[in-house]
Amino acid sequence: MENRRRDVAVNAVGHAAKAGKTPAFERQRQRFFWLLLAPVLAILAVVTLLPTLYLLVTSFTPLNLANPATAWDFSDPLVNYRTLLTDDRLHNSFWVQAKLSVVTVVLQLLFGLVVALLLNMRTPLMNALRTSFLVPMVLPPIVVAIIWKVLYSPDISPAWWLFQLLGWNVQTPITDASWALTAIIVADTWEWFPFTMIIILAALAMMPEEQREAAEVDGASIWQLTWYITLPYLKGTLLVAGLFRLIDSIKTFPLIYILTDGGPGSVTEVSNYYIFVQSFSFSYIGYSAAVTMVLLAMIVVLSWVIIRAVSGGSNAQE
Amino acid sequence: MPRSKLDAAARRNRILANTIVIALAIITLLPFLWFVVMSFKPADDIFAGIDGFFFTPTLENYTSLWNDRFAGSMLNSFITSSVSTILALVIGTPGAYALSRATMKQERTFSLLILASRMAPPVAFAIPYFLVYRYMGLLDTRTGLILVYLTFNLALVVWLMRNFFDATPRALEEAAWIDGASLWKTFMVIVLPMSGPALVTTAILCFLYSWNDFFFALTLTRNNAMTAPVEVVNFMNYEGWEWGKIAAGGTLIMVPVLAFSLLMRKYLVAGMTAGAVKG
Repeated sequence: MENRRRDVAVNAVGHAAKAGKTPAFERQRQRFFWLLLAPVLAILAVVTLLPTLYLLVTSFTPLNLANPATAWDFSDPLVNYRTLLTDDRLHNSFWVQAKLSVVTVVLQLLFGLVVALLLNMRTPLMNALRTSFLVPMVLPPIVVAIIWKVLYSPDISPAWWLFQLLGWNVQTPITDASWALTAIIVADTWEWFPFTMIIILAALAMMPEEQREAAEVDGASIWQLTWYITLPYLKGTLLVAGLFRLIDSIKTFPLIYILTDGGPGSVTEVSNYYIFVQSFSFSYIGYSAAVTMVLLAMIVVLSWVIIRAVSGGSNAQE
Repeated sequence: MPRSKLDAAARRNRILANTIVIALAIITLLPFLWFVVMSFKPADDIFAGIDGFFFTPTLENYTSLWNDRFAGSMLNSFITSSVSTILALVIGTPGAYALSRATMKQERTFSLLILASRMAPPVAFAIPYFLVYRYMGLLDTRTGLILVYLTFNLALVVWLMRNFFDATPRALEEAAWIDGASLWKTFMVIVLPMSGPALVTTAILCFLYSWNDFFFALTLTRNNAMTAPVEVVNFMNYEGWEWGKIAAGGTLIMVPVLAFSLLMRKYLVAGMTAGAVKG
């Protein structure tokens, strides 16, 4: 890929020299590019940056839709950010978020890795079945949530038929305070392990053969090969896939909305969901905006880490 | 170890691995298949427990769905997703080309902007859009949804199309310039036709992202512009628990998604990791 790009660049330079490319033409070209770029940048700014700025401004007001006078009230700009420090329900939501994110990311990396390592044996049967593992990830998130609602509903779930046959009396986990979060974690892991799997598979396909072959000749077992050669090779890939899932886990919404509605109590109320409740159920827009800004700050930091991780990785390859 | 023994061991390993993969594939697909099968079950059999395992397939869930407002919400989904996709392509593709060909210093800043707009939780946009739309009367309109979908579609188009242009040779354009074609004409006549496949791929991805949206449709529409995902969830809220209809609606929503995304699974990851990983 890199090589090809370099060839292309060299070619282009050659052509330009032959064409006797003048500085005037070069200037015209740059102007043309800016002309093409300007509309995108302008519209991107209007649809994304402007709303974010508006969100920031709103976070300095006590805006409550029930009381229109609060809209441009900047008398105490930091009131929301002070409230935020003492809001136990918010702190709980961060804690729930941390549990959900860490456990799902670890499980997804683990399952994704195991399935990818298996599929990497690339027998004809595996190549045929490969696509079926992608299904959970490509389903619309809302459908995934409904599917799991079905599975967790005792009167229609096939799992509960089985429990009944075995004579077990099992409560549905989604209304049980000690199991509700686990129920979400199971569903989320099912939905997203294909993502880590497919990224790991892609990395495995590009893995150089020499090291493995040398170790095989030396009589290394499959486990030793995996542990000492494959896993170290995958380190960067696992990091990037994990970071992506980590950030996306902050957005988890349909699963919680459909399965538990943040409950019972607030045991499955993640920060994103708490914001949704505060803003769209209670109309405390100003306060929600402040919490969202905190969440956004965290996401920007994590995104920056990803970019560093990715470009660090590709630099090492060059 | 003798060669034949090694081969036998290798074969055993393969058979074992194959078996595990089959089992895992079944576990992975089961929840989804269960749901699709349920959409063809008569209402009685859905609640019949194990006795409902064998049933006579019926389309009654689908027909009762179609008499409802559901068709309208499917239409809303289709219109908002397609129009937003087309807008994003028209606005984003020239920009992506320029980004690929011009010499830019703010490469990393731009990556971060794209990545951030993909990573931002929808609620961060939903709040300001809700306030502005309330003021402008755009709540519960298709136009409103189309504009919100641009928040992620534009970034997606710019990122994917720029990667594509980066990987295409410049020789053709240079030749056209030498022959005296204008910059604009070169772009329209040489570059765009060449990008057909990439444009289609990008369009499908944008369409799927918009089609799958639940949060914006939930918060920014009430009635008129409500899309299919929200409508299906409404079956859960106020019409009692009509599981057959819910399953039928869910199945209808996911059919185009499944068909398209499995067709182009190679690009799926490029779309999902936009901003960080070059496809």
